[in-house]
Amino acid sequence: MASLPSIPGELASADVASGVVRLTVREELYPLDAVFAAAFTFIKDCWVVVDRADAAHWAIALTPKAAGADAALLEQWVGGFANELLACAYRHRLAKDHRATVEAVTTAAMAGALGPPSLEELEDFDFSNEAFEDPLGIAMSWEDKYGKKAKAGDAAPAGATDDDDGGAP
Amino acid sequence: MIALRLHKDVYAGAAVDAAIKQFARYARLTAREEPSHWVVEVVAATPARARTVAGELGNAALGASAKARPAVQP
Repeated sequence: MASLPSIPGELASADVASGVVRLTVREELYPLDAVFAAAFTFIKDCWVVVDRADAAHWAIALTPKAAGADAALLEQWVGGFANELLACAYRHRLAKDHRATVEAVTTAAMAGALGPPSLEELEDFDFSNEAFEDPLGIAMSWEDKYGKKAKAGDAAPAGATDDDDGGAP
Repeated sequence: MIALRLHKDVYAGAAVDAAIKQFARYARLTAREEPSHWVVEVVAATPARARTVAGELGNAALGASAKARPAVQP
């Protein structure tokens, strides 16, 4: 096994005689899903074997299918794989972090695609249910919340304000 | 003869079995189980053919194992 000039020896090494290059990565940084995704993009041109180096590391062996790979070519392959692995790990993290957002947006888009409700659906809809609890009175109208209170002797209905004169003569 | 060692943390047993069935007509394949690995021994007419079958079998098992994994969980 020979080390590669541009990659630290503890991360990658090449066996030129066998045409194999090995890359060791930390599982904490590169989850197995990311390793799978990166391997997927290389299985057309390389034979890929993923193994456990130890409890915290993956060992990935790449063997280019084309015979006669020299050290420089093996270095290109492993460098390309390392870049792809980094991209896959980042995409994996984004997908994990933003899953709830993506689901909410997708659900809203699907609901919008169904179109407006028909009259029959509106007839069947139960409007009596409270949409949500409002203990702070945020959803109350300004008049309901801050309007002048009706005097005790008034016959005005509850919630009526001074503006409710109704234009009576 | 080539012994292909596939770690159980990475490769699903069903995926390895499916890959063995897929490539059984190209070489003589013998599977056995070790505590941490599935081991597939590949015997073919020529070393080059054995190498190719072992490599493609490994790729197939890797792809099937990736496909069998559940979606990303938050």
